[in-house]
Amino acid sequence: MKLKKFLAVLLVGAMTLSLAACGSDGSDATLEGENVDSATVGSEDGEKLVIWTLAKDLQTFAEKYAELNPDVQIETVVIEPADYVTKVQTALNGGQTTPDIIVGEPQMLEDFYDANYFEDLNQAPYNAQDYADQIVDYVWKVGQDSEGIQRAISYQITPAGIYYRRDIAEKVFGTDDPEEIGKLFADYDTVLSTAKTLKDNGYRIFASDAEINYFSGDSAWVVDGKLNVNQARLDYMDLVIDLYQNDYTAYANQWSTPWYQAMAGEVPILTADIQNYADDSVNVWDAEQFEEATKDLDKTEVFAFGLPSWGVLTLRDNVGETSGKWGVCSGPAYGFGGGTFIGISANSEHKDLAWDFLKWVTLDEETAEWWIEKSEGDTVSLISVLEKHKDDENPVYGNQHMYSFWQSQAEHIDYSKVTRYDKVINDAWGAAITAIKTGEKNKEDAISEFYDVVESTYPDITVER
Amino acid sequence: MKAISMKNVMKNRNNAAYLFVLPFVIVFLIFSVYPVFRTLYLSFTDYKGYGDPVLVGLENYKRVIGDKFFWRSLYNTVKMWGLNIVLQLGLAFLLTIVFSDIKYKLAGLPVFRALYYLPNLIAATSVAFLFKTLLDWKYGTFNQILLATGIVDQQVNWLGQRSTAWAVVSVIQAWMWFGNSFIMLMAGVQGIPQDYFEAAAIDGAGRWKTFGKITLPLLRPILLYVAVTSLIGGLQLFDLPFLINGVAGASTAGEPGGTLQTVVMYMYKFGFETHQVGFASAIAYTLFIIILIVSVLEFKFIGGKED
Repeated sequence: MKLKKFLAVLLVGAMTLSLAACGSDGSDATLEGENVDSATVGSEDGEKLVIWTLAKDLQTFAEKYAELNPDVQIETVVIEPADYVTKVQTALNGGQTTPDIIVGEPQMLEDFYDANYFEDLNQAPYNAQDYADQIVDYVWKVGQDSEGIQRAISYQITPAGIYYRRDIAEKVFGTDDPEEIGKLFADYDTVLSTAKTLKDNGYRIFASDAEINYFSGDSAWVVDGKLNVNQARLDYMDLVIDLYQNDYTAYANQWSTPWYQAMAGEVPILTADIQNYADDSVNVWDAEQFEEATKDLDKTEVFAFGLPSWGVLTLRDNVGETSGKWGVCSGPAYGFGGGTFIGISANSEHKDLAWDFLKWVTLDEETAEWWIEKSEGDTVSLISVLEKHKDDENPVYGNQHMYSFWQSQAEHIDYSKVTRYDKVINDAWGAAITAIKTGEKNKEDAISEFYDVVESTYPDITVER
Repeated sequence: MKAISMKNVMKNRNNAAYLFVLPFVIVFLIFSVYPVFRTLYLSFTDYKGYGDPVLVGLENYKRVIGDKFFWRSLYNTVKMWGLNIVLQLGLAFLLTIVFSDIKYKLAGLPVFRALYYLPNLIAATSVAFLFKTLLDWKYGTFNQILLATGIVDQQVNWLGQRSTAWAVVSVIQAWMWFGNSFIMLMAGVQGIPQDYFEAAAIDGAGRWKTFGKITLPLLRPILLYVAVTSLIGGLQLFDLPFLINGVAGASTAGEPGGTLQTVVMYMYKFGFETHQVGFASAIAYTLFIIILIVSVLEFKFIGGKED
């Protein structure tokens, strides 16, 4: 009944909107809604480029591009990740000629490639293969479909690293050298003993137990159509459970208030009772409530965070007093997280303009230089620019050479680990770990449930128990 | 002769009326009839949301039947609906008895009727967030009251534990819908001639006897209607469990531990999260068939002797 009412309202709304659209120029299909943020720049009667993207970055790029090319108009629509895939599918399946430019994060790309949403960039006039050695290797390969045809290119690299407090490292381990500290995170067992040492000294290794997520597993979840649960996965599971059950973390949820606070200094030590992962007991998303609820608790300082290279900016904005006391080192595996990959819609009627924009965003040295400045430190994918900035010192991180560090991390990344199944499988694996660490299920039952979920969600994956 | 009479019929018809219903018919065909058949077709294909659908026969239906998580979500849905309908109808019946009792002669029926119906006017989204706040583990008003009155000695995690979360959803559903059922039942009662009740009173029938022998049997058609509509709505339950425990707003996982995952949430997972539109369509049709069967059974058992 409710649904019908809702549909009726939707229908009336849609009709009103379509009438309104007819009233204006009625030329483009425009997205409306709360989860959409659209901005148009440039000349009103110029050739128009429509971009659908996930993050605001491309709006900034579009502004600059329109500034340099005054005869062009660009509409950049930022869509929530949860809605993005469905919206792109609806538009492209329906044969819509806009958007001209679509983007994808690594786990979305495989489906987009299969659906032929992206233009083949290896063909003339694009000839993208000519630019192959200008871009960091793993990023270039993520942009290729299963046949090795270039479909999308990214302007950034996102290798993961361990961000640690140099002052605490000096006190506890007698050194703050990234090489040496990297050894303390060399593998899961070492991470655990590092965690113990830190706890014995009154610190906590991580704020949350999700910090090694980017370094989990060193192989793909699905290999040759078979679910691949290898020893590294099981070790990762044990590590998370040990971190949790031994109170080695501060029990803060990633992205919650105490998690951010831990970047700036002291945070209350939460316990499973206050901050249980299964039940969001204290409202950790509300700073005021959180302070009130935790004012009587013991405090500690957190040693490290595990984040991709864009974490450089996250930390910079949240470290406060501890600015300058941070360093970055390698984690137990080479991983990466996210990244916006840009391609041209196969239905676009402005492919030349789209390619010019794409080339300008991803393959132009001046743009990369401008972007580093504009974003205040994003890590670009253009090798020549990374080389040029390899001696740049970042004051937030004790004048460490960040660009050369990320470049060296990126060299080891094996992108073939990414599959389209990752989100569901990671969620299910995470649910299994949570069930075990909170004592809700024993290991055998939790893993068996995990297999069931994978099997029922993707019957085409063979599960060997 | 026959042809002429047909012609007359056509002539006598008010053709303008067709013009008036045309907009509705067009919209209905596009947005209701077409999707129904399109979904049926897709349920026999491996459609992923892009590319061309390839026919796979009954594969998707076999998968639905063999999928323990489908049955778990159906079980969750039925469980939530079951408690809800008992509470909803129980409360509605109680109120009907009170308001229809000729001895009480309660005043203000229209006012109460409006009041009871109010929860139904709030959008499910608002209801979800309202109860999320009220039932918050550490700060929720409800727990604060329980603590202050000494009913419990520590906060109850209503929405976070498996044993209570589903029941909470049922109770909220019942709260939203009992007013609706009450209005239906009351209308039914008012349709029963007063003579029967007066006759019964004169014959010395008690309150329960009157209810059991007169009210209940004569309410049967209304009861059937309430039960069938509630079942159809109940098995399609989606918004409340989808929103009430979602970590970042909304989630098809049905936390805690999948106990709030309903069939429609499960379908949504495949249709919109893992892009297996064919399988999602098969889930939709399986649910449709289940609703059809149970509705027929309801007609048989409650509708009973009438035919």
